[in-house]
Amino acid sequence: MTFTSQPRYRALLLVPFLLLLAMAIAFAPTASAQSKAPNRIVALTPFSANTMAYLGVKPAAVGQTLGGDKRLAPVLRTSKVLKLSHPNGPNLEQLINQRAQLVFTSSQWRKGTQSMRNLGMRVVETEPRTIGQVYAQTRRIAEIINRKARGNRFLSQMKRETRQATAGISKRPKVLLLLGVGQTPFTFLENSWGGQIMKAAGGRMITGGATSSGGFARISDEEVLVANPDVIVAVPHANTRDIPKLIDFMKNNPAWESTPAARKDQIYVSTDNSMLQAGTDVARTIRVVRKQYLRNWK
Amino acid sequence: MSIRRTAVTVTLLVALVAAVVASLSFGAVDVPFSNVIDILLGRDTPGPQTQIVEVLRLPRTVEALLVGAALGVAGALLQGALANPLASPDVIGVTGGAGFGAVLIIILYPDSIALLPVGALVFGLTAAALVFFIGFAGSGGGGIGRVILAGIAIASLFGAGTASLMAAYPDRVPSAIFFLVGGLTSTGWNTLDQVWPYLAVGFIVAAFMIRPLDRLLLGDDVASSLGSKPRTIRLVAAFAAAVLASAAAAIAGLLSFLGLVVPHVVRLAGGTNNHTFVVPVSAIGGAALLVAADTLARVVRAPIEMPVGPFMVLLGVPLFLWLLRKAV
Amino acid sequence: MTPLLEASGVEVTIGGTEILRGADLTLEAGELVAVVGPNGAGKSTFARAFCGLRRPDAGTVRWSGTDLADLKGRKLARLRAFVPQRAQVPNGVRVSDAVRIGRSAHLKPLQGFTADDRETIANSIARAGMVGFEDRMLSTLSGGEMQRVQIAVGLAQGAPVLVADEPTAQLDLGATAQVSKLLRRLVADGLGVVLIVHDLALAAAIADRVVVMCDGRTIATGPPSEVLQSQLIADVWGVEAELVRHQGRSGLHVEWLEPTRAESS
Repeated sequence: MTFTSQPRYRALLLVPFLLLLAMAIAFAPTASAQSKAPNRIVALTPFSANTMAYLGVKPAAVGQTLGGDKRLAPVLRTSKVLKLSHPNGPNLEQLINQRAQLVFTSSQWRKGTQSMRNLGMRVVETEPRTIGQVYAQTRRIAEIINRKARGNRFLSQMKRETRQATAGISKRPKVLLLLGVGQTPFTFLENSWGGQIMKAAGGRMITGGATSSGGFARISDEEVLVANPDVIVAVPHANTRDIPKLIDFMKNNPAWESTPAARKDQIYVSTDNSMLQAGTDVARTIRVVRKQYLRNWK
Repeated sequence: MSIRRTAVTVTLLVALVAAVVASLSFGAVDVPFSNVIDILLGRDTPGPQTQIVEVLRLPRTVEALLVGAALGVAGALLQGALANPLASPDVIGVTGGAGFGAVLIIILYPDSIALLPVGALVFGLTAAALVFFIGFAGSGGGGIGRVILAGIAIASLFGAGTASLMAAYPDRVPSAIFFLVGGLTSTGWNTLDQVWPYLAVGFIVAAFMIRPLDRLLLGDDVASSLGSKPRTIRLVAAFAAAVLASAAAAIAGLLSFLGLVVPHVVRLAGGTNNHTFVVPVSAIGGAALLVAADTLARVVRAPIEMPVGPFMVLLGVPLFLWLLRKAV
Repeated sequence: MTPLLEASGVEVTIGGTEILRGADLTLEAGELVAVVGPNGAGKSTFARAFCGLRRPDAGTVRWSGTDLADLKGRKLARLRAFVPQRAQVPNGVRVSDAVRIGRSAHLKPLQGFTADDRETIANSIARAGMVGFEDRMLSTLSGGEMQRVQIAVGLAQGAPVLVADEPTAQLDLGATAQVSKLLRRLVADGLGVVLIVHDLALAAAIADRVVVMCDGRTIATGPPSEVLQSQLIADVWGVEAELVRHQGRSGLHVEWLEPTRAESS
């Protein structure tokens, strides 16, 4: 019995590997020539997209936001939307196709940041977590897109509106702000965006001054009972169409039945992502919270 | 028959080439095939399509090829060294360790995310080293049962560590999950630049271990008679497998299934246990499977990239079951 | 002429117990030496010791004049082939594959088989009487066929000495006869063969010399008819028996049971 002779066999197997190795070396990334096209900017967060829009610069594309486009500035509603997913954020092929030169991203998509830089794009992380950071980053964006003057005007207006929105707080109810509905949800802490908004609107988080790295923490039903919240606001993970049903579900949670929030019918569901991500609509968000949830708007 | 083996090899090579072509041609953005050829041959004008093919798709295809080959070889080496059809890189603790190392970086040092491959490599190799130390040491050492038990214990240890990290920092879990579920990302040549020496070492050592593993087939006594040391063979082969699996995890996260199933598919198709056939052809088969699965993962719900695991299973399991039935 | 193998005073201790307390054996080319002895005498341990599978704790072993300590791995593989008692029968391996594996000891790590090697492989299969079995899976072979394949694997090593540990222990009458004839043919070709056997009658029939072991020592060595006397058998095995040879056949007449009144001698 004879066999296919060994050396030929082995050489056959090496061929594709050598081929690809050669290709890899030959086509190592070359810097693509930057054409003299106008500044093409992609804004992946609602904050950066809206800020740009109000400063009069329309981004080439925006990132898809949870909660749809209700918070987007009207002029952006016709913009190209890039879907975002873990871990890179936007699809890089689509990003390249947009010829993006500058990308405003969030720390969530940090893994994609390096890839974008490798592609020769400038990447700036803007994800404000406090109202103070909103002001600072608005200024920064204005500088980067060369609209300093307009930026300053926009900023003064924002500050004025926020001052008005936080004035005359008479009642400071105790608030439980939840992420997710159902088994063991997470609670927002003071150092989350939702927590900051609550604080500005006069709500007292039942978690007090507790903070964590992400701004969220697990909470048990026992802790809820002890804290006795006056208001419960839930932010579901996904878009829900049946808010009354959700509210009903929460009201019937035996663990929460005895809380003032359940008894006085102050359980709410927040379906846009205004509690999750900072936007340019700080004053509006605070007003909504005061009027609808905390009921301390005169 | 050698005709059968040649047929299997050629079929898998053709599948690999087809998968590579598909991987370069398809994606979230439509790049006509003629353009792809032009770009690869350097006959193009610079623009987004060139960037897409050269900077995103080409490195990713090469990564998928190398990771698939590495895992296929690692599985074949371990199944030969441990003489156990259920052996795979998971069994020697590499996957558990690499997972822990990567999640450690993602969760505790998210600013240094570039260190992720290093974390995976270091802890993958550490886990394997622990398993070898426990499994191969002492007079009862080198016994297959002992190595496998040590592997399960170490893997559980690191798995618990990973779960604890995720529980402590729940907001960073989504990024960690992508790694744990396993998948490639289009990050250019960066990761490969860091990791290729390990792949090279693993492949080279594997090549030298093919004949010694064949000698183990006839039993430890015959292997000794032929001048080999069975314990050394097992240790070195397992070492090569650990290096390959750690490097693969550093690039593509925790991909189970491939290292376990591909060598079996190759054995069933070729009708032989000979490592001279099984090891190299597992490399080709693994590469073909991963490149094909990754292409599907990128294309099926574009622009969202799905995890590659389910597609590997979708492609591999029916074939495996069919071959299994034919063999019985 | 230097003997192919010279072992003297070999001692081996395993796990605190002295298994071999001083064993000797010499082997010349073209002769078949049978090692016999009761269970626990240390026959297998002795064979593994002088084959280098387990280094002896004391004593000297020389292969064609070179000390065992100076022979490593491949060099040793070219001097002797060890055929174990119970071989692993792996799945998915053919007879031809197995014999090739035996030949691989000759090659450097990535070297391919030469025409010479292929010829040796074919020859080994032929000498073991396994022509026509090349494509058979090992798992489909009978006990006798598997044993002959193991011998072919040993032959492929190209060594002048074959050491076989109880090759016929699991075989039936016919297979045992076949393997016996095979071994004598190999010896006639000039190979040196050391055989560990249980069956005294078989040893007497096919061996040129017999080495008797007891309690870890070699106590007698010489042609079978001289060594395997009734007195020695009674001393070593504790059984009354007589070796009988007649017209090319050998047999052991054994007093299995106590003689009863009903039997008369």
